Amino acid sequence: MALAAEAQERIRALVDRYEHRQSALLPALFVAQEAVGFLPPETLAEVASLLELPPSEVISVASFYRLFFLEPVGRHLILLCTNLACHLNGAEAIGRRLEERLGIGPGQTTPDGAFTLRESECLAACALAPMMMVDRERFGPLTAAGVDEILDRHRGR
Amino acid sequence: MGQRAPADPPTVTITIDGRPVTVPQGTTVWHAAQSIGIDIPIFCYHDRMPPLGACRQCLVRVEKQPRFQTSCTLVAEPGMVVSATTPDVREAQEMILEYLLINHPLDCPICDKGGECPLQDQAYLYGPGRSRFIERKRDFAKPVSLGPLLVLDRERCVLCWRCVRFGEIVAGDHALKGFERGPESEINTPFTQPVESKFIGNTISICPVGALTSRTYRFVSRPWDNAAVPSICNHCGLGCAIWLDVRDETIARVRPREHRAVNDVWLCDLGQFGHEWVGSRDRLTHPLIRREGALVESSWAEALDLIAAALETSRRLGPGRVGVLGGARLSNEDAYLVRRFFREVVGTPHLDHRTDARPGSPSLEIPWGMRAPLEAIASSSLLLLVGCDVAEEYPIAWLWMKRAVDRGAQLCAITPTHLDIEPHLFATLVVAPGAEGAVLAQVAAAVEGRQLDEALLQSAGVEPATVRPLAERMRTATRPMLFLGRGALERAAGVGLLASALRLQAAGCIVHVMRGKGNAVGAALMGLLPGPSGWTAPEILRQGAAGELDVLYVAGADPATEVPDASAWSAARQSTAFVVVQECFLTETARDADVVLPALAYAEKDGTVCNLEGRVQRIQAAVRASGEARSEGQVMADLARRLGVEWSAGSWEEIFQDAAAEIPGLAEGAVLSPPPLAGSWSADGGLPARPGDLVLLTGERLFDRGSMTGRSPAIAELAGAPSVWLHPGEAAARGVGEGSLAEVRSAHGRLVLRVRLTDRVPRGVASVPRSDDAVPVIRLLNWEAPLLAVTLHPLHPATEGPEEAAAASPRAGENGT
Amino acid sequence: MGAESILLRFTEGEGAVDLETYRQAGGYEAARRALTTLAPDSVIDIVEQSGLRGKGGAGFPTGRKWKFIPKGAPVKYVVVNGDEAEPCTFKDHLLLERAPHLLVEGIVIASYAVGAQRAYVYVRREGYLARERLEAAVAAAEQAGFLGDRIFGTDFSLRVVVHTGAGAYIAGEESALLESLEGRRAMPRARPPFPAIAGLYGKPTVINNVETLCHVPAVIHLGPEAYSALGPPALFSVSGHVRRPGIYELPLGTRMRALIETAGGLRPGRRFKAAFPGGSSSAILTDAHLDVPMDYEPLKQAGSMLGSASLIVMDDSTCMVRTVARAVAFYKEESCGKCTPCREGTYWLSQVFKRILGGQGRLEDLELLAHISRGMKGGTCFCLLGDSVPPALEASLKHFRHEYEHHIRTGRCDVEEGVGVAVGVA
Ligand SMILES: Cc1cc2nc3c(=O)[nH]c(=O)nc-3n(C[C@H](O)[C@H](O)[C@H](O)COP(=O)(O)O)c2cc1C
Ligand code: SF4
Ligand code: FES
Repeated sequence: MALAAEAQERIRALVDRYEHRQSALLPALFVAQEAVGFLPPETLAEVASLLELPPSEVISVASFYRLFFLEPVGRHLILLCTNLACHLNGAEAIGRRLEERLGIGPGQTTPDGAFTLRESECLAACALAPMMMVDRERFGPLTAAGVDEILDRHRGR
Repeated sequence: MGQRAPADPPTVTITIDGRPVTVPQGTTVWHAAQSIGIDIPIFCYHDRMPPLGACRQCLVRVEKQPRFQTSCTLVAEPGMVVSATTPDVREAQEMILEYLLINHPLDCPICDKGGECPLQDQAYLYGPGRSRFIERKRDFAKPVSLGPLLVLDRERCVLCWRCVRFGEIVAGDHALKGFERGPESEINTPFTQPVESKFIGNTISICPVGALTSRTYRFVSRPWDNAAVPSICNHCGLGCAIWLDVRDETIARVRPREHRAVNDVWLCDLGQFGHEWVGSRDRLTHPLIRREGALVESSWAEALDLIAAALETSRRLGPGRVGVLGGARLSNEDAYLVRRFFREVVGTPHLDHRTDARPGSPSLEIPWGMRAPLEAIASSSLLLLVGCDVAEEYPIAWLWMKRAVDRGAQLCAITPTHLDIEPHLFATLVVAPGAEGAVLAQVAAAVEGRQLDEALLQSAGVEPATVRPLAERMRTATRPMLFLGRGALERAAGVGLLASALRLQAAGCIVHVMRGKGNAVGAALMGLLPGPSGWTAPEILRQGAAGELDVLYVAGADPATEVPDASAWSAARQSTAFVVVQECFLTETARDADVVLPALAYAEKDGTVCNLEGRVQRIQAAVRASGEARSEGQVMADLARRLGVEWSAGSWEEIFQDAAAEIPGLAEGAVLSPPPLAGSWSADGGLPARPGDLVLLTGERLFDRGSMTGRSPAIAELAGAPSVWLHPGEAAARGVGEGSLAEVRSAHGRLVLRVRLTDRVPRGVASVPRSDDAVPVIRLLNWEAPLLAVTLHPLHPATEGPEEAAAASPRAGENGT
Repeated sequence: MGAESILLRFTEGEGAVDLETYRQAGGYEAARRALTTLAPDSVIDIVEQSGLRGKGGAGFPTGRKWKFIPKGAPVKYVVVNGDEAEPCTFKDHLLLERAPHLLVEGIVIASYAVGAQRAYVYVRREGYLARERLEAAVAAAEQAGFLGDRIFGTDFSLRVVVHTGAGAYIAGEESALLESLEGRRAMPRARPPFPAIAGLYGKPTVINNVETLCHVPAVIHLGPEAYSALGPPALFSVSGHVRRPGIYELPLGTRMRALIETAGGLRPGRRFKAAFPGGSSSAILTDAHLDVPMDYEPLKQAGSMLGSASLIVMDDSTCMVRTVARAVAFYKEESCGKCTPCREGTYWLSQVFKRILGGQGRLEDLELLAHISRGMKGGTCFCLLGDSVPPALEASLKHFRHEYEHHIRTGRCDVEEGVGVAVGVA
């Protein structure tokens, strides 16, 4: 999918923020990902040519970080923290509830494309344990009932 | 500053396992240990790349340091006390090995690396008897082919990162990369696409396990069944050192052989995989003679008698009615005898190995070759390519340039197309085809501080602003170098290019003439050039066409596909009574000959060759000759005898001695670089007229389908279907798309080609690879016209069938005029 | 927190997010003092005397670190580590979100001290609010002349760029962070050369944690003695089985018991079982250590470490095997894969744990766990991520061996699951 002119502009602008163009790669990939929804091969190639980097390098970097999606994802990304503080406070039960309600396992996307569910490492919000992020928002301490409510709130959007 | 004797480099002394060792400052502990015979195991370290410290196999302990250190990264400091073999260190090293093995399959018996595998050796030396690992091993999809050369088995990979760093540091092509991370890390190409590289074979040699193996060598042999014969690669002309691994009289594989001054420890993929033709079934095994219009097998005696008779008749008609073409595929010794036989016995001055030159080409005016050794490239601070696609034509020279670039040198190019090494270039001046000379003249002017012809530069497609800084750097550069490529030399309308090169040479530039394949430089050195009042190759063909020749003798050349003209060869052939061809294959030229003699391949004979530097190197007979093939030298002796001159059919050494007696400085290992450029050439700085709206460029490609490469399946596959390269915009404007068939027509001929889209060629240019014997681009060419226009005609899918078949078949079929 | 709180006083309630609020609280006065009245070297001396130590985990004296930066170098950088992916560490995000100007002021002073004209702040991807607030703060500070050209009329100029991570814990390791900031895979670099000599883009670079730099204004404001007299103070992230998990500012040396009390103590009817005093890479301590002072030396003597001062409390509802298995799973997930022992060791350990928790454990697996763990210690790994695995694992094998044995013998876990005490949706 070809990047819109606007996204291309933002990527070119990013280059000026840094002394070395490759420093713009991570933010540039996010610009592309937000524009396209994920990072298909042709988008990665486009970012590579915009930053004048070898495509193999760009793809190698993208595959290293957890928050670049080389496969399609749902409209909403659920990151359920299962690291220590949340683990100790029942993240597992919350996870089971999410899986029931969404009918998918971790790493999967609901058939309607609304949600992608992921287990996550510590999200630096341990006072909220057990907690999760939906897109850019934090939720916790979570209860089974709370989970349902949050899902309903997002499903429509 | 006056001369001072260089002080010896400062040293440091350390102790390893109780033994003192003194090494130059900056030496790593690993190298220090090596130097006293303490062998510390390594996987990620490779001495041609900076240490990485990733595999941790080389751990040692240093007194007063709490933590283990990696000896490959640790620089020796005065007084360091190192233990490399104490029990705690051994335990750590064994532990690393155990980690490496937990996910490594136990398939050594069927692994191509078996018998030459560092991991296998280490496991044997250090490994704990049995692994404590009882879990499921990490599993990847079975071995995958990454193109025609490389097979990747990710389960065997120990993630040493050597192959990845080779692509980043040495070749600069970023061919293989690491993907994912942690235990899921894998080496691969993006999305497991075929690998894009000219050097990928090297990753096979440096992979310390069987993760990267050769597709052509798969299951072919075992190291202990191979006899390794040292030889020299015969392809591009840089003469890289190789090992021919021979099993049962066939070349099982080619490996790089270390030669610090030429290829170091590397090899390009043409050199490593372009050897299969030697064992091809198409090899000529017996002489052929023409009877009732057809070529039929004959005995050597019969064939030689025919040739001798023809030469005898010609001699009676008068001197100089014999022409000799070719030589680039001969050894020095063969070339020497060919020259002596025809000059002294037959008495003709008309010899020339430069069969692929245009009449009036500047390349006919100057000796070919490099005027400084390859090594010197690395210490130059400015390199200017002029119509020289170096990575395609002389790949190993590119690796030297890459080193220079990494040291801060500036690599620039004056070129009609973009180059795939462009990311490494400091400046790329993409000029109109044939404008290289005119633009170079402007560079020379700028270097001399004279006025620029801005209008001319503009119409050549160059921003004057880019020329001045380039000239400025040339003035201040250390050892600036100019690389005149075949493209620039053969596209040039006149000799102005040489006039400009001469001016830059006067300004301190070293001028390399990057021209000639195989042993071209050796052929020239041995005298396969016009003698006094002798004709150049194009003149020989012209005179032949004019009926001035009785005999045309072609040795190791294929003018029918090499001469840059659609009809020059056939014209000469038609009007010459008797044509002899000695070749490895029944080439197009051979098909029209009266007598065809089977030749030896470079791997079947002993002798010497010269590379582009003029470096004299030894080749060895590694496999038995196919059928009754003979060396050209042998044939010369046989013919001489028939013409009443007794020549002892000497060993290569004797012939070499005779040559050395004539040629000052000729000795094995010597470097006989050509003299500096000299001559008086008119400076016709003008731009050539653009012949039409679509100009034909004959592009250089490393992987092609010549008589040899076409019979090396892996290379032929890399070359792909005969194609014409177009800019996407140009293609769209002409109604053709990627992969579609089109007929390319010039005033002289037509070819059916697949369209390949690339923005490496500018609009208004159609680039056709030079050497595809099935569809020789020369069918479109006329050697009077350095530049010519073509038209493009999309083919209807309906009619594609036959034409495509023609395009793909080894014989050109109805393709061409 | 009250008066003597030097950091949290800016984060209380809505915090000091906008420039005005921050200035009313005395914001940017320390920076003004430093730039207009102190020479760079004296700033460094003051910071050194204050005893301020890095809050990112290594606890390296900050002043000393700044001194390593070569004076002459034309180009230098300050890089701020806001990756905060260390399990159960969440102080930096509080500061970034509620007191972004405090960090900006710290950056100005630090950059002035070492002579950097450019600073980069690396914030993990998930810190959306943190980045948003920090970027706003940087813009406001530039407007007000606290950043940009000729700050406070001096000839010192500084640009601050906020950078985003992309989901990798290892990017918090300083040399991997530099790789990531240069747009590559976040894989640690070999040292030497150290960042102070050849860091970002090969130039001298100071790398400091967010909290570390947030202490700097107070250090300048109070002076070294007064500052260290406060403990010196530190932010503790307290999480796990406590009633009021959160960030607490207390003097270093506060006893673990007191810290737990401050965090509301344990839940009704629960008994203390164990704790990670310094995040998942610190050795687990038991009730025997409840009175250990939360400070570098004492914790070291107790066989653990302060790390990023993240206390993770576990009560008697905790299954040690599953908890340690979860910690190991974290390191496996986050290992960059560059070096062998970390990549393969974490993989191997998780496989063994999977087997034990799946009821296929063997008693000899305990020796095996110890064996694999030993291979990751003492510098066999490329960076400290690998070294972070053994402490908790080995402590659990030492103190809670019976729980492992029970799992292996019965194939199940008798400790009830730590079902969260639900407190409604935030
Ligand atoms: C695996 C690993 C992860 C780390 N993660 C962080 C982190 O998230 N934030 C941080 O400030 N320091 C982290 N560090 C410590 C940094 O390497 C570095 O010591 C610190 O940022 C220096 O700043 P300071 O001296 O102010 O503490 C980590 C170290 C390691 C080995
Ligand atoms: S494929 Fe071979 S060379 Fe490449 S990383 Fe793996 S083991 Fe090393
Ligand atoms: S050889 Fe030294 S770490 Fe790999």
